[in-house]
Amino acid sequence: MYKLFLCFRYLTRKGIVIFPVLAVWLCVSMLIVVYSIMTGFVDRVRDAGKELMGDVVIQSTLASGFPHYHGLQKSLAHLPCVAATAPLISTYGIMNLPEYQTSAEVQVLGIKPAEQSRVSSFGKSLFWQYRAPLDAANDLGGVRFPTTAAKLIAWGRTRLDAALKTYQQHQQAVSKLKPIKGHGWIADIQRHWQVIKREDYRQAQYHMDRVYRDLRFVEKLPPGMSIQSDAQLRAVLIPRAPTFKPPAVALTHYPSAAAAPKNGCVVGIDIGLYSRDRFGHYHRPPGVRFSPVILTVVPITLKSTLASPQSRRFEIIDDSRTKVFTVDRHTVYAPFHVVQKMAFMQQQDLLSGGVRPARCSEIEIRVHHDQNQAAVNRARDQIAAAVRRFTLNHPAMEISGLSVMTWLQEQSQFIAAVDKERDLITFLLGMMSMVVIIVIFLIFFMIVRDKTRDIGIIKAIGGSEMGVGSIFVLYGLLISGAGTLLGVVTGTLFVIHDNWIHDDILWRIFGITIWNRRVYIFSRIPDQVSPHTVLVIAGLAILAGLLGAIVPAMIAASRDPVHALRYE
Amino acid sequence: MANLLELVDIQKSFRMGNAVVQILAGASLTIAEGEFVALVGASGSGKSTLLHIAGTLDRPDSGAVIFKGQDMARAGRFERHRFRNANIGFVFQLYHLLPELNVLENTLLPAMVAAPWYKALIRARPGKALAVQMLEEMGLGGRLKHRPNELSGGERQRAAIARALVNTPSLLLADEPTGNLDPRTGQSIIDVLVRRRQQGAYTMLLVTHDTAIAKLADRVVRLEDGKITAA
Repeated sequence: MYKLFLCFRYLTRKGIVIFPVLAVWLCVSMLIVVYSIMTGFVDRVRDAGKELMGDVVIQSTLASGFPHYHGLQKSLAHLPCVAATAPLISTYGIMNLPEYQTSAEVQVLGIKPAEQSRVSSFGKSLFWQYRAPLDAANDLGGVRFPTTAAKLIAWGRTRLDAALKTYQQHQQAVSKLKPIKGHGWIADIQRHWQVIKREDYRQAQYHMDRVYRDLRFVEKLPPGMSIQSDAQLRAVLIPRAPTFKPPAVALTHYPSAAAAPKNGCVVGIDIGLYSRDRFGHYHRPPGVRFSPVILTVVPITLKSTLASPQSRRFEIIDDSRTKVFTVDRHTVYAPFHVVQKMAFMQQQDLLSGGVRPARCSEIEIRVHHDQNQAAVNRARDQIAAAVRRFTLNHPAMEISGLSVMTWLQEQSQFIAAVDKERDLITFLLGMMSMVVIIVIFLIFFMIVRDKTRDIGIIKAIGGSEMGVGSIFVLYGLLISGAGTLLGVVTGTLFVIHDNWIHDDILWRIFGITIWNRRVYIFSRIPDQVSPHTVLVIAGLAILAGLLGAIVPAMIAASRDPVHALRYE
Repeated sequence: MANLLELVDIQKSFRMGNAVVQILAGASLTIAEGEFVALVGASGSGKSTLLHIAGTLDRPDSGAVIFKGQDMARAGRFERHRFRNANIGFVFQLYHLLPELNVLENTLLPAMVAAPWYKALIRARPGKALAVQMLEEMGLGGRLKHRPNELSGGERQRAAIARALVNTPSLLLADEPTGNLDPRTGQSIIDVLVRRRQQGAYTMLLVTHDTAIAKLADRVVRLEDGKITAA
């Protein structure tokens, strides 16, 4: 009993214990924060990478693609592991925006939007055809169901009035701001205060735009329409399948679109047309949507030589955000058959007679049970076998050099690099945390020296070597336990509230921005804590405390009581 | 009266640098149950060493420490810890109270050593009634929650005596308990020890330089040249 009792007394009445507790606390907290944020970042990168394409991809090593893709798709559809397939044409070209007098190198992806949405998250990456109506459903779906479209419209107008009022208040506040003259910290604080006000004004503007957009979506519904549930509201607002067809509004409001052939295209969000604020919100200038785009691609012949460039006019009907920066920065999506023709990959009649079959660059495949990577790997093997069988019956495909890869293999270099970065930082922090063991060891060594006489007394009243040793081992466990508990609580709270700490404390009060959302692909700092990670870090911290305490405890246990009593 | 403790031909030497110093050279002493024996001798004669050996804190190089017929010098480590906790009470010249504990907690410590670990969790205090009673009798009733650094020398020594007696030991070993106190306070400490001995009937071996204190004992023995002689 005395061991536990003395432990508690030493813990509560010796001021020096604050230092090892502090060391363990900070290290545990730091490891939880860094590991959670890095893991969250890696997970998001992986998720984005996974959603970007099908689970399994059949590619050709030739830029000119491979033929008989339609037959191959039909053949694959019979495999029990295959849920959906979609062909894709990938080529490079120049995007020219005549109204903005700008051009850029882009990757042009020819896709069938409905099919592509079944194998990847293309549909969910679209703003006007998925995210904006989803926002409207979420923003207006807080009403009591069943309801009617008329009620939703009324509710949307009320929200718009309130948003407009807030916007006007911020606008008025900003219009009264005067330039701050002078130097020094007071002037700096005043300037920072003005920055906050302008930022609040921009947020009010962003909010008003969103409320207005929400209203426009519900205004399209017949006012008498009855809506029974949140799910039904989403179903009526979000299109079932994405399309490249410009909506009717484009033809009525934008004469340039009305005059053009009806080819829509989708641009990556980071292609340079949209600005992004410090909260990660994209601002879409009204003129960008439905503005004309001239896409020029250079077809590649079967002999891998360049043919004459092909240009065609499209209208931007939507923007896509996959959260993979290189994709969002350089990709334009256009209708499959249009791009196929531009890239000379359509079916062709040969002068010598006969037909050259149409080609594509990839077939992307969604498999069943795709959350299980082992299942994806098994599906890849089955698909590869099916491709080999199909190739045997189609000799023209043999020279196409087809490869069958999972999404993870396809993006292995990128994901492995992020994984390694996280592991490296965790390893370095872990090494730094070794300091905890040394700090505990040194402090315990000092405590044991300080307690030499106590050890003699405890032994004089019948305390055993093991008893004395266990006092200090328990002491170490309690110290590391207390530090670990504090570290787990503060580290977890920090991670869960990291966006609030970053935006409302660091930036608003101190003007510090660490996570620059204009630069990072993700708008929010990862804020998920894995219980498994917390348990492992807590276990390691307690073990570190034990290791730091065990040698001094052994020294204490082996003290001769007679010498200990005479110690001064 | 039956013998409580027999120290038989105790030899003990210490190494000091390259030299070996013989402290005890065949010291023998028999103490009967309930007897109060005063041990006197010159400084460095080995009185404290003999006391430590009698209390099984130290082992002799040779000889026997027979307590109620059992040779504790040959007993195992754990047996000696248990024996010391149950049968021996130590009172030291420098009190040796634990500074982090208050008077009551210091007094209860030997009782806690004997108690199972889980009693700490239920905040049980074995021997508390006896400890409080003893401390009140010793005039420390109002000092139970005070830490040692808040007490006078005499109060500390009384707390140390209460600690030594809380497990009602058979043998109290006191190593110059008044050596650090003024004569008046020292006398009060001796009064406490003598009075408690009369109440509790424990046996006492007391090391002292003070002849007046030695005179209070039933018997005075002298340690000289490593051996016990009658004073």
